[in-house]
Amino acid sequence: MTRFIGKYVGQNQKRIDAYEKVTGRALYATDVAVQTRDAVHMHALVSPYAHAKITKLDLSKAEKAPGVVGIITGEEPGIDWESFPKDAIMAQNNEVIWAGQIVALVAAETLEQAKDAIELIDIEYEVLPHVLYYWDTIKPDPVSVVDPMWGKRDVVTDRPMDEIDERVSPNVVGAYKLDTGNVDEAMKTADIIIEKEFYTGKKTASQMETPLCTCIYEPNGKIILSSNGMGVHGVVKMGLSKMLGIKENMLRVVSPHNGGSFGSRLAPIMEVLCIMMARKIKRTVIYRLTREQQFTTAPSNWPGISKIKMGAKKDGTIVALDWYVAEECGAAINNSYFTGRMCASGANMCYDFGEARIDSCAVTTNTVPAAEYRGLGVPESEFAIECVISEIADQLGIDQLDMRLKNLLRKGDKNCVGEAITSTGLEDCLKSVYQSVKVDEPSIQDGSVWKRGKGIASAGKQNTPLGRSEATVLWNSDATVTLLLSNDENGMGATTALKQIAAEVLKMPIENIEVIRADTDATPYDNYGASSRTTYTTGNAVRIAAMDCIQKLRDEVGRAIGVHPINVEIEGTKAIVHGYQVPEIEIDTLFKPINFFEQGNFGLMKGTPVRGHGVYCPAPVLQWGADGRCARQWNWYQYSACAAEVEVNEETGEVRVIKFASAADTGNPINPKLVEGQIEGGVHMAIGFSIMEDHFYDKNGMIANRNLGDYRIPTIMEMPKNENVASIICPDALPDGPFGAKGMAESITVPVAPAIAEAVYNAVGIRVDSYPMTAEKVLKLIKEKKEAAN
Amino acid sequence: MAIVDKSYERVTVNLVVNGKDYTVDVAPFKTLQDVLREDLNLLGTKVGCEDGNCGVCTVLMDNLAVKSCCVLAPQAEGHKITTIEGLEKEDGLHPLQQSFIDYFALQCGYCTPGMILSAKALLMEKPDATEDDIREALHGNMCRCTGYKKIVEAIEAVRDGEYKDSCGEV
Repeated sequence: MTRFIGKYVGQNQKRIDAYEKVTGRALYATDVAVQTRDAVHMHALVSPYAHAKITKLDLSKAEKAPGVVGIITGEEPGIDWESFPKDAIMAQNNEVIWAGQIVALVAAETLEQAKDAIELIDIEYEVLPHVLYYWDTIKPDPVSVVDPMWGKRDVVTDRPMDEIDERVSPNVVGAYKLDTGNVDEAMKTADIIIEKEFYTGKKTASQMETPLCTCIYEPNGKIILSSNGMGVHGVVKMGLSKMLGIKENMLRVVSPHNGGSFGSRLAPIMEVLCIMMARKIKRTVIYRLTREQQFTTAPSNWPGISKIKMGAKKDGTIVALDWYVAEECGAAINNSYFTGRMCASGANMCYDFGEARIDSCAVTTNTVPAAEYRGLGVPESEFAIECVISEIADQLGIDQLDMRLKNLLRKGDKNCVGEAITSTGLEDCLKSVYQSVKVDEPSIQDGSVWKRGKGIASAGKQNTPLGRSEATVLWNSDATVTLLLSNDENGMGATTALKQIAAEVLKMPIENIEVIRADTDATPYDNYGASSRTTYTTGNAVRIAAMDCIQKLRDEVGRAIGVHPINVEIEGTKAIVHGYQVPEIEIDTLFKPINFFEQGNFGLMKGTPVRGHGVYCPAPVLQWGADGRCARQWNWYQYSACAAEVEVNEETGEVRVIKFASAADTGNPINPKLVEGQIEGGVHMAIGFSIMEDHFYDKNGMIANRNLGDYRIPTIMEMPKNENVASIICPDALPDGPFGAKGMAESITVPVAPAIAEAVYNAVGIRVDSYPMTAEKVLKLIKEKKEAAN
Repeated sequence: MAIVDKSYERVTVNLVVNGKDYTVDVAPFKTLQDVLREDLNLLGTKVGCEDGNCGVCTVLMDNLAVKSCCVLAPQAEGHKITTIEGLEKEDGLHPLQQSFIDYFALQCGYCTPGMILSAKALLMEKPDATEDDIREALHGNMCRCTGYKKIVEAIEAVRDGEYKDSCGEV
């Protein structure tokens, strides 16, 4: 399939939401809340301790405080906590299991009154030992057994090779193992073996708009929910109907403009708690997390710990990989049976490892629960693989690009899992960034304390099929189109791309199309925006809906003028009729006018659109066998490569990225400028992962840096200057993507940290084994290196 | 001076927002951010961190960029405030607004009003601002989506006069 460039697809159409966003007219969930009348405000009392017994909880003073209308605790009757998102479970059985877990929710007439009432809650804790990191929690006899399911942990489905009695620690909650069978034998044939351990930090998505939910309580008990959560149908409506037993016609979910998510708003935590209160007090409720609570109470990512043993031949051919990877999932069991399989997917689809053994697990800790966040475990695990590949190349004296090209999987190859690669532009990605940053030429040193170096890495990320998307095309009687969608729009621009797809298929001027998005009482089902699936899954649904609409228009036009539809072609607003006395008809002229005296109501009638509907649902993945292998573990793969030049201050350890190129295999890009924006934003975010972002704890296990002043995310100062930023698109069309497109936003972040790590090595000769590569960490390694040299 | 009525613990604050005179009667600890959003319904001024770090609430106070979450309402007494709503004119968008659209300088858009106002303050003070000046001026405006490259391009386009004829001066 060659690259498709159409009238709209492949073109840089302006964002459809840009005007309202630059004028301040775009209403976000936080703004809808301000405009909501007669609402009460809810605020949370959260635990200051990572692990404690609640010895006293007296609400009597708070209940009588001015303005208070309702208080909920984990003892609220009639609630099926087990069905809740794990991060939304309030303290149960008088035990808090992370600092930031919600103990009580107070609703009052004003936010100040709610906060004042929280001060009046009489609560005492008996502090218990806690575990914050993998190394403490993995012990066979850990000081704290983190049990988010209160002894009912077997509700989590164990997958093959993950028998509970084989677990090394009670804090292991999920596992995945893969073994191609001959790793030990293959390792013996290696000329070089590198064995190392890596770990990564714990980070918070830190989108600019904090989580918020407004829950309007209608007189008949119907709930209208407006939030910045993702998945109006698949996550929020279906989830809440199930958790709280709300009838589907009594819950309407709408999604206003959204100030970012990056996956972190996939669990309907705010939504379920807010509705619970609204139904209890029969009032409209607003619930917003403060920035501080976004760190302590909203989900973070999964830190990853990797132990790797990789063997290669002298010529760079990798012969065996033995990989242990553990992910800290915090105080929740969330997606844990995916963990490992999920994070290992990043490397599996890039390289042929010869023989591979992957032993992975998820562990719980007394920290804020981890959940989905851009890349879902892959940026953490892939760091280790890429660092080891870089080191092997350096030790063998092989060029970094050649080393990777030698081991790359090509289209049609099968990876160690047994899946065939259907689309990969990784080779082009690698070559283009290598050339852009001139990785083969050493950095120019200026003789100062700032030493420069370059590095390169590649990566991929799987797409999980994740259910269906639907789209509806209404072809109105005045030749305009209304496109009904329920995709998430967190800023990535997917809605603009979806409109482009509709315009292309309908051959309709794009300005004639209006998109109505995400209102569960009006727009069709879409699961949710995750796994970079929107352009692919919803895009296909739009394509199918448009094709369905065209077919129906052919039928209707044929019927209206008395010819067989096979003779009718639809060209935008026109019908081309073969063998008819009028070869070209403006379709809107065929809709019969409506007035008070008009009789009859069949055929094309003014005011009644012709309706096309599209459903797209990729085939589900297959369960894997006892060896962890299967022919379809994922749907398709997105790829990216990054080359970076950094400078490292020898005296302070500070690392700065001064130049990078990032290339993405997006399949055929629907809107190249939007793709560039995702690339630049993705690398910028990953610079944060790589050198800045981590949670630090105080003695109680509470995150100490729970604000944007102490948990620094990168600003413009951390971004290289414009001339030193290259975003490149290297498409390999996806056979079943709309116009060959696939998603791309997650893979971008993955190769950034290992490229920086290799660049740091080339600058100052130290190999970092973890990120963030903070100044303290880098300086320590520089000092150790100097001491060793002396 | 703002008049403090202690019996109600309220203050009366007079301020000029986007060229219009307003008088509001608010609690003395209320921030300019909350006055703009809650009392004047100017929701283009966003809420992000409420501690002066993220910059999504940036407005202009006498043509200087300030974070409105860190300005108490009484401190705004008598000052000229410009919010994002004050930029669009009857005959079209402000050049920075148009260039942000044309250069794809926004994604989720939550930081965009603050970003545009910081850029406006810069270009009013330094019409020939360099890339380094732009970086310095925007370093208090966090953006988690875009990576800033396209934001810089948009501001440079306005600096270079690309929008002079279509949208007028900064």
